[in-house]
Amino acid sequence: MEAYRAAGVRLYALSYDEPDALADYAKAHDTTFTMLSDPDSEVIRSFGILNTLIPPDDHPWYGLPFPGSYVIDADGVIVAKFFEHNFAVRSGPEQLLAAALGHEFEVPAPSDEQPAGRVSADVRIDGDRLPMGVTRQIVATFRVPEGQHLYDEPVPDGLVAAAIELDDLDGILSYEPMAPPTSPLTLAGSGETLQVYEGDVVLRLPVTQNARKMQKDDDGRFVTISGRVRWQACDDTECFLPESMPFSFRVEAGFPVLGDMGPGVGRVPAMNGAQHFQRLIDRRAADDSVVDDQ
Amino acid sequence: MDIQVDTRGGPSDGPYFEDAEGFNMPEPPGNGSRRIPLGDFPTGPEVGSRLPDIVATDQSGRLVDVHADRAGQPAVVVFYRSAVW
Repeated sequence: MEAYRAAGVRLYALSYDEPDALADYAKAHDTTFTMLSDPDSEVIRSFGILNTLIPPDDHPWYGLPFPGSYVIDADGVIVAKFFEHNFAVRSGPEQLLAAALGHEFEVPAPSDEQPAGRVSADVRIDGDRLPMGVTRQIVATFRVPEGQHLYDEPVPDGLVAAAIELDDLDGILSYEPMAPPTSPLTLAGSGETLQVYEGDVVLRLPVTQNARKMQKDDDGRFVTISGRVRWQACDDTECFLPESMPFSFRVEAGFPVLGDMGPGVGRVPAMNGAQHFQRLIDRRAADDSVVDDQ
Repeated sequence: MDIQVDTRGGPSDGPYFEDAEGFNMPEPPGNGSRRIPLGDFPTGPEVGSRLPDIVATDQSGRLVDVHADRAGQPAVVVFYRSAVW
């Protein structure tokens, strides 16, 4: 939350909970962002994101949205949105803030001397912990000399597209990579048209952990994410050999904040969750009886 | 849009069921709150359009109009499941 404030970005979180449930949550977790209550799912419906796979008589699930996040600029225009089909997965603050600030594909100034005439690559992880179901991003930055370019997928045999590849790690998931726009380039020899990145390139790969047993160290508090960044640079006449750079990041595993529906690892107590849950069921059942009476 | 429900997955440890991505919950995939989409599903207003108006009550009981409240600042608006469960 401090990062949002420092960046001058407001955060709103909307759910179908009653205001008093939000008040209890905010008190239990010292919440400083704005929580919004949409108990009849009016806002959710007006956005067209009501989960219509849930039938109206299925209490208390009816009224849920397909969860996701919108990022808007100072004019209120949507500049990015993040929706995953699995409601257990949501975007982390780093990627939301990067989109809000419009610098997700900006290339920082080189920190050291760059090899002349060759692509230089950096890779880092945005965020220092990896809670279950919340994405962090592996960010690869390529500085591309004038006159050279990198390729997007797909490429024919013999060429290597710029990409972030994860090792096959139990418990680690990755999602659709984010990349800047590409331009078409027709190869002189084959006449084949490929997509190329112009100038410097930043690729972002969202990653998270699921519930599967995974390799952790220090009593399960840390997880290591490893893989490699691959690329191949070409200019108008020739291609350099493919290159790769391995990476390994050790980050705190962590859990997201969960309700207090019962005991369990990572659960944070004291927001009267079970009581609010019962009220959620009761109120919807009562709404039904009104409909039935008419 | 014809939306399909994702029922992939199966029993996991104890009373839990694992979905296709390895997340565990007490309900089997495709049931209850776990009716998540397989393939395309609606994600609301498009990038490049103005965020529709949102007027709703906040955690302190105050009625908030998001566009007025953010006072010209950029914002992130998160639609999530529930603060309760």
